[in-house]
Amino acid sequence: MSYDDVEIEDMEWNEEIQAYTYPCPCGDLFQITKEDLRLGEEIANCPSCSLYITVIYNMEDFQNDAKKNNEPKSRQPIAVA
Amino acid sequence: MAEHGGTPADEEEQVWSWGAGTDGQLGTDKLQDEHLPQLLSLISLPSISMLACGGAHVIALTSGGKVFTWGRGSSGQLGHGDILSTSLPKPVSFFDDCVIIQAAAGWSHSGFVSDSGCLFTCGNGTFGQLGHGDNMSLSTPTKVSYFLDKSVKMVACGMRHSLVLFTGNQVCGFGSGKRGQLGFSSDSTKSVNLPCLVPGLKDVEVVRISANGDHSAAISADGQLFSWGRGFCGSPDVQTPQCLPSSLSFRVVALGWNHALLLTVDGEVFKLGNTLNKQHEKQKLHTDSSEAPFVKVPYFDGVKVLKISAGAEHSAAVTENGEVKTWGWGEHGQLGLGNTSDQTNPQLVSLGSTYLQTKEIEVYCGSGFTYVVRRKQELNSSPTSS
Repeated sequence: MSYDDVEIEDMEWNEEIQAYTYPCPCGDLFQITKEDLRLGEEIANCPSCSLYITVIYNMEDFQNDAKKNNEPKSRQPIAVA
Repeated sequence: MAEHGGTPADEEEQVWSWGAGTDGQLGTDKLQDEHLPQLLSLISLPSISMLACGGAHVIALTSGGKVFTWGRGSSGQLGHGDILSTSLPKPVSFFDDCVIIQAAAGWSHSGFVSDSGCLFTCGNGTFGQLGHGDNMSLSTPTKVSYFLDKSVKMVACGMRHSLVLFTGNQVCGFGSGKRGQLGFSSDSTKSVNLPCLVPGLKDVEVVRISANGDHSAAISADGQLFSWGRGFCGSPDVQTPQCLPSSLSFRVVALGWNHALLLTVDGEVFKLGNTLNKQHEKQKLHTDSSEAPFVKVPYFDGVKVLKISAGAEHSAAVTENGEVKTWGWGEHGQLGLGNTSDQTNPQLVSLGSTYLQTKEIEVYCGSGFTYVVRRKQELNSSPTSS
């Protein structure tokens, strides 16, 4: 059973792992790549446990993504003192 | 002000941890899950007054008001001025000249309250949950200027939002408000990065606040529960604090990501919603009924419960007999029962020998892990021969 339904706009783009992520209750992150989304995949898995979420998005938004350089909202830089 | 020693000689303080540990949040110096309680050797950490456990990080306050953090640090939530994780407690040097009396750990941010009533935050600020008027993440604790002329009493941190209880029993919220967790009436409020007053609690004498996941809650001086944010068990989100009608008098509320645990003044435990293992059991929330659907957690056999805590999908309690019990989701060993099974009912956690009398036990749940701090007093306080 899907743990939750999460809209793509509520997921965060993680530059390091090149995937959209969302907090998993185990402490790790649910993850789905842009390629997955382009292919119509809607399940984001957690690498550490059996849970997964259903990602709600428009497939068309990711179809032309290869050409255009519309990078998704990435995380703000962290001020390191 | 240097802090010497730690606990008095006739007292022994034990810190146990178990559950998800791949980010170093168990303080074991290993990056692995533990299915059984691990007794930590934290010589560097004297006399713990409280712990705060978040998504994958831990904040410890000492009785002298010093701060130690460990676990995942990738958003700056450890407050060490970097974005590194650490698997052993490390002092937060920023607070060397401060006395911190309360702290909260969210999914990836942290809040600290000083004895002078100031609030400091650090970590992930993407949703405005640090309250500094921008969406920057910070790796060093920074004073929230909104509260400079106010006295902060308590901070609570959820997945992407923060709640603050301050002067005059008022409550502020900031960060993500998409599920109603900030308690503002407008449902168009997606997120705010400066503290905003929760208007619905203006005439309520709030004494305690709680936040986790996309949930928020408050307890009033007369034992009423107010809750807002994401709806429990698929019911609609609640945009403003709602007083849940009950003849019960509540002392403590502990929130998970899909459930709330409540401790009454009589030492009984009730819950709202369900953890992962029981989500198929739909529990409908009828807001217009005279009695909210609090379900009593049985199996304590009339023994009073003194402490409760909630992880994302698990629960823990301490009874007056000095027993620690856990239930809920167990896939990472967060129940400490030696396996990865889920448990519907509270189960006894084995925490070593019992020849020492327990003076005080506290339990703290992070998202997928659990801590117990146990202060023991020797039955026979005769001096040890040397």
